[in-house]
Amino acid sequence: MHVTSPVREPLVLGNKSYHDVTQDIACRVEEKPTKLWFIAFGVSLVMLALGSASLFQTWRLGIGVWGLNKTVGWAWDITNFVWWVGIGHAGTLISAVLMLFRQKWRTGINRAAEAMTIFAVLCAGSFILMHMGRTWLAHWALPLPNTYGSLWVNFNSPLVWDVFAISTYLLVSLLFWYLGMVPDLATIRDRAVNPISKACYGFFSLGWTGSAKHWQRYEQVSLILAGLSTPLVLSVHTIVSMDFATSVIPGWHTTIFPPYFVAGAIFSGFAMVLTLMLVTRKVYKLEEYITMTHIESMNKIIILTGSIVGIAYITEFFIAWYSGVEYESYCFINRATGPYAWAYWAMMTCNVISPQLFWFKKIRTNLVATFVLSIIVNIGMWFERFVIIVSSLHRDYLPSSWAMFYPTMYDVGDYIFTFGLFFTLFFLFAKYLPVVNMAEVKAVLKSSTDKPNHNH
Amino acid sequence: MSATSGKFLVGIFDDEDVLLHSIPDIRNSGIKILEVFSPFPLHGLDEALGYERSKLDVAAFFFGLTGTLTALTMISYMMFFDWPMMIGGKSNFPLPDFIPVTFELTVLFCAYGMTITFFIISNLLPGVKPILFDKRCTDHKFVMAIDLSKNKMSEEEITSILKENGASEVNQKEF
Amino acid sequence: MKLEEKLVIDERFVFTTKAKNKVFTIIGLGLFLFALGMYMVMSGGGHHEDAHGAVQAAGHAAKGHHEAFNWMTRVWVNLWHNTVFFAGVSVMGVFIVAYNYVAYAGWSAGLIRVPMSFGSFLPYAFGIMLIVFFFGHHDLFHWTHDGLTDPNSPHYDRIIAGKSGFLNTPFYLIRMVIYFSLWIYINHLIRKNSFAEDINGTHTYWHKNTIVCTVFLIIFGVTSSMSAWDFVMSVDPHWFSTMFGWYVFASWHVSAIAAVTLIVVLLKERGYLTIVTENHLHDLGKFMFAFSIFWTYIWFSQFLLIFYAHIPEETVYFLDRMKNYGNHYTGIFYLNIFINFIFPFLVLMTRDAKRHMIILKIVSIAILFGHWLDFYLMLTPGTLKGHSGFGPLEIGTALVFLGVFIYVIANALSKAPLVAKNHPMLEESLHHNI
Repeated sequence: MHVTSPVREPLVLGNKSYHDVTQDIACRVEEKPTKLWFIAFGVSLVMLALGSASLFQTWRLGIGVWGLNKTVGWAWDITNFVWWVGIGHAGTLISAVLMLFRQKWRTGINRAAEAMTIFAVLCAGSFILMHMGRTWLAHWALPLPNTYGSLWVNFNSPLVWDVFAISTYLLVSLLFWYLGMVPDLATIRDRAVNPISKACYGFFSLGWTGSAKHWQRYEQVSLILAGLSTPLVLSVHTIVSMDFATSVIPGWHTTIFPPYFVAGAIFSGFAMVLTLMLVTRKVYKLEEYITMTHIESMNKIIILTGSIVGIAYITEFFIAWYSGVEYESYCFINRATGPYAWAYWAMMTCNVISPQLFWFKKIRTNLVATFVLSIIVNIGMWFERFVIIVSSLHRDYLPSSWAMFYPTMYDVGDYIFTFGLFFTLFFLFAKYLPVVNMAEVKAVLKSSTDKPNHNH
Repeated sequence: MSATSGKFLVGIFDDEDVLLHSIPDIRNSGIKILEVFSPFPLHGLDEALGYERSKLDVAAFFFGLTGTLTALTMISYMMFFDWPMMIGGKSNFPLPDFIPVTFELTVLFCAYGMTITFFIISNLLPGVKPILFDKRCTDHKFVMAIDLSKNKMSEEEITSILKENGASEVNQKEF
Repeated sequence: MKLEEKLVIDERFVFTTKAKNKVFTIIGLGLFLFALGMYMVMSGGGHHEDAHGAVQAAGHAAKGHHEAFNWMTRVWVNLWHNTVFFAGVSVMGVFIVAYNYVAYAGWSAGLIRVPMSFGSFLPYAFGIMLIVFFFGHHDLFHWTHDGLTDPNSPHYDRIIAGKSGFLNTPFYLIRMVIYFSLWIYINHLIRKNSFAEDINGTHTYWHKNTIVCTVFLIIFGVTSSMSAWDFVMSVDPHWFSTMFGWYVFASWHVSAIAAVTLIVVLLKERGYLTIVTENHLHDLGKFMFAFSIFWTYIWFSQFLLIFYAHIPEETVYFLDRMKNYGNHYTGIFYLNIFINFIFPFLVLMTRDAKRHMIILKIVSIAILFGHWLDFYLMLTPGTLKGHSGFGPLEIGTALVFLGVFIYVIANALSKAPLVAKNHPMLEESLHHNI
């Protein structure tokens, strides 16, 4: 029985039938690519090409082309890595955590968010491969038997933990995303007229027919995957935070990093989902599936996670003072008043002040404001990682080692590569795969439609 | 579902609640339902059809356990038996350090083990041809398939019972 | 179906004389054990304590400390420990109500009055805390001692002097007043709105409460960490951890979830809350499972980072709990992880386990005891060093507090309808089926 409280807003507008859902979403897959798509795809290909040129040079000449030095051994490379991984967390959160909390509004956005996760993790992974320098020896990061003794990886190192965490995260996210797509691929297969389309979607839909037995098992598997993905997503960004927190560097070694990083990741991830979805829903005319309620809910999560990040900042300052450790205190003073203070204040404005604007209903229900703020949040989160990494490294215990870091064109170029990669993949996804989970939207249709007198 | 052949009756329903309410009555009237197909999962359908609960959760647990043991064994072997190294002044087997990798492999094995098992036991594999009683089952209709060879009642009887219970169409299908 | 529902929704908990007597018995037993424990401690305890006392006295003399162990400290620590634990469970009841409102949760509408009653204990917790602080601060908090901030004093402690801007009695008390005032006031507002909704059926009060609850969440986000630093972290004034506030939060929260579950089960066993089905119990079980794992994650993160970086000023915290004082706390350290992680993780994993009242009862009691023990481990090494014990004094104090807590909560529950009958999500709760 579908019982929905009258205080809830409908999640699917426009009096849709099940067939409408299929039609509205599948038609985007079935139609020929539009001019707008070609332009967008073209731009992302250009970024990918330019970025690849930069990447090739980095690979050919070595990572000395970056602005790194002995003091600041990590800068843009790891900032970007953490930035992309963080963004990726929203997909899993929306798919898994919101599923466990039975938040029905996740159904309009989870497909695209999960796709975003996979592409973001690939971008993050590319920085890991890049920053190794000798990328052709990347397999040395895995515990494979070899002829050097066997010389095994150091399982004590958070960098090795990262290898396992990011790989597992990529593989499990891929699995969860794919599993969720099988019923939709079957829908497209059964509508397909073109024999090639039919064969392709047929191949990947695994012969799915939607039988009750299969749905029973599918629901069981989805629930368990959601239950697994939740601690997984927490563990991944926790392990990433441990790349810093296990050290002894002031500003890095602080026990709050694991949950603070996770909160920050969700914060930036939701912002990216908003950036992408606000455009996608307009272009694909999906405003009745990704409604103002969806956008408002995402904005509320941004307030929540942004505030948690803010509280973590306050805690860090306070304990830095409370600890009485002068290096700890100096680290924070340097961040606010030292040579990178501009980055610090950018971070504070973007991360602490901007999400608080969403307390105002007028702002959180305004599409333009949401779009602008979502980008500001991601800029802020980039600066947060930059501040944590560079400001702590450039001035730690020994003043004679203090140095500055300045990015080179290759730092920037390699970052552009990942944008090219991300958007190329995203536009391919948006063209050839259904951006909204049709089956799940249909499942909540009856309880969350705006059809009059339908519920209670 | 494999190697389906013979004659079938296919009841088409437009509304999932009508379908769910019809199932006890249809089953009580003596009709053996082969399977019901829907574009999305229906809560309570498997119970209504008398399906046993899936044991994939048990399988998942054991796959996860395998992951845990694999990780701990691998790490123990590498860091304790084969080439012990003293790192950071810690003992040869600092268990807290090994928890992250152990956790990740547990999750990985659990997720893939369970899902691949699901695909295999359901015969959902790349290239498998779907057995569709009515194409609209992946779009907007709820499809009930009845195997005539497994039912003693006549086609007309079954058709009328289905229609009484809310089926908007009853079609024939042969494989 | 509808008529039956109407009858079952309009119910009120009756705090019978029989039940009250049971609670008085618990309190009475607790007082007796407390007195017995005090007597035992006053007369020097057993040889166990003496041997320790000798070793510790030697150790302390070597370090230059002249403070011999004062038996009264153990009494103060017990009082403080239980006040902190139960105050936390209380305020977490308010927190649970708050996030259920803000998240638009439907399933819990039928049982929300249970956590809503927890805040009633806050004024008592506040009163007891003030009294214990007033009389016991010297034994509990090293930073309250004289001469720590005076560079000319033989007791000068540079580290504590550095934080004396925060750790000084007046500011400490002001903060304590602020925490409890805010918590008590907002709890009062939430209850007022909810009870008004019973009488006036519109959704206005629900909307009001959503706003009040949002404000509470913001205030609680800050005050929960700060109160954790004040009440717990400051007993080890040379130590610090940025995670600590969230660690205490996690422990308090899962305890409150367990308390809600236990009380719901106990009420159901007495014929109340028939609208709560195994589906609701399943969700409560999921929360206990999930937040036990969350607590473990926070515990492990804090532990691993301190273990890994191996900085002596930080590791001493865990060394005190794992090795020091002749392995005095080691057993409790590992027991803590077993009861609070391994036990709920394994027992509550299956779907069926979470739908059976008896299993939920056992696990919720285990979690409550387990996290009470967690706070014991947080507070005793810093205050009692090697002189802590686990005897009639500890059990007695805990029973007294438990009895008083149950009495206050039961009383609060009896003052208003047990089910928020006009809650806009109640229908969803009644039809909850998972």
